[in-house]
Amino acid sequence: MLNKIWAGLIIIGLLFAVGQDIQDEISNTYKNGVIHQIPYSNIENSSNQLSLTFNNATLIATIKSDQKIHIHLDTDSPAYLQNIADANGNKNRLIGHINSKNNTQLNLLLPELHWNKLRKVTQAAFDMAKFAVKLAIGLIGIMALWLGLMQIAEKSGLIKHVVKIVQPLLFWLFPKIPKDHPVFGSISMNMAANILGLGNAATPLGIKAMQQLQSLNTNKDKASDEMCMFLALNTSSVQLLPPVTLIALMGTQVSELIVPIILATSCSTITAILVAKLYSRHNARQDKTCSN
Amino acid sequence: MQQLSSLIIPLLILFIVSYGLIKHIAVYEEFVDGAKEGFNIAVNIIPYLVAMLFAIAIFRASGALDFILILFSPLADFLHFPAEVISMGIIRPLTGSGSVGVLAELINTHGEDSIIVKIAAVMFGSTETTLYVLAVYFGAVKIKNTSYAVQAGLMADFAGFVAAIAVCLWYFS
Repeated sequence: MLNKIWAGLIIIGLLFAVGQDIQDEISNTYKNGVIHQIPYSNIENSSNQLSLTFNNATLIATIKSDQKIHIHLDTDSPAYLQNIADANGNKNRLIGHINSKNNTQLNLLLPELHWNKLRKVTQAAFDMAKFAVKLAIGLIGIMALWLGLMQIAEKSGLIKHVVKIVQPLLFWLFPKIPKDHPVFGSISMNMAANILGLGNAATPLGIKAMQQLQSLNTNKDKASDEMCMFLALNTSSVQLLPPVTLIALMGTQVSELIVPIILATSCSTITAILVAKLYSRHNARQDKTCSN
Repeated sequence: MQQLSSLIIPLLILFIVSYGLIKHIAVYEEFVDGAKEGFNIAVNIIPYLVAMLFAIAIFRASGALDFILILFSPLADFLHFPAEVISMGIIRPLTGSGSVGVLAELINTHGEDSIIVKIAAVMFGSTETTLYVLAVYFGAVKIKNTSYAVQAGLMADFAGFVAAIAVCLWYFS
């Protein structure tokens, strides 16, 4: 399933980009090879500064030589000009070629631009690959901090107290784990962090739980039933307090959202548990018929 | 609300450390002992994270999402809920920063009081970035075959989104 989703994202994305590029190519969005006839006026007190009228937009340009002109762009400039400039390495400056010029009109040739969407998609892919590493490196500190605190809480017996409160629920969710296994400690801490909306604490604690679940896993390459259940619980995340990001975005408005959030997240969590339980039962039955 | 959230973590740290001290634990030594695993875990996660995030980046940058929204909007009209929230439903399991962006954009265009923003915020608050969590958690234990975890996660997300729409339309009407 994950293989299909992963490939699907890539294939849909690339095909879609190609489609848009072909459409651009047919309608010649970037006016490749077209000579632009642009009315202009000189800017006072300046011999080489011009004011160009580009399809209703007024742009400032600097003449660099007989043939070369730099058009200055900002975020309000026409999008296709920005795209051409971006493809040529400078978002704010478009270099044009002057074919001919009279007192009021400039005949201008702009650089060609093909496959713009594909170029952008590729760039996004590379940027994201770099960002992924940054993200993982950034996790080191947070991870170390919470794992360190967890170790203290574990050695001092604090976690055992927490586990006692949620024991009945955990034993039902993870029936195959030995009842005195330390993984219950990590799982309950992870759940507590999720419930309190502490995203950056939940991840390290959850990873700790995953490692302990992996030590119980009989097939080290494949996710066990317990791992799937644990992951489903985490992705649906029961929350009593809204996540910090939401508070930052919504401000005081957040307080009236708490009840709806708790209701919605309960629905998703119940679904997660049911789906995981059904799958594990289904798989167990299949294994039985296979061995018979 | 904001005060409460910013209080929990310092109090938690205070509580854990002082409890350890009371129980005569070598708190500093135990902390370091536990913390040293952090590096290896983060490095293990990298390939999984690169694989997941780069595929999502291609999908997002291609603008395919806008197209999918156009496909789905008749359904939204038919079921009487604002089509704008579908973008949150699709982007939420894929990327955290992306969904923050979508929410910020919706707040910008519709205002915090609109039902659209409320539904999107509840969607945002009630589920997690499933594919990211999946990559990080399974990456940390080097598991490639995720069995049925994706199905369970995505179905839970879907239930959460439907619930968010239904609950908001009922609660804020």
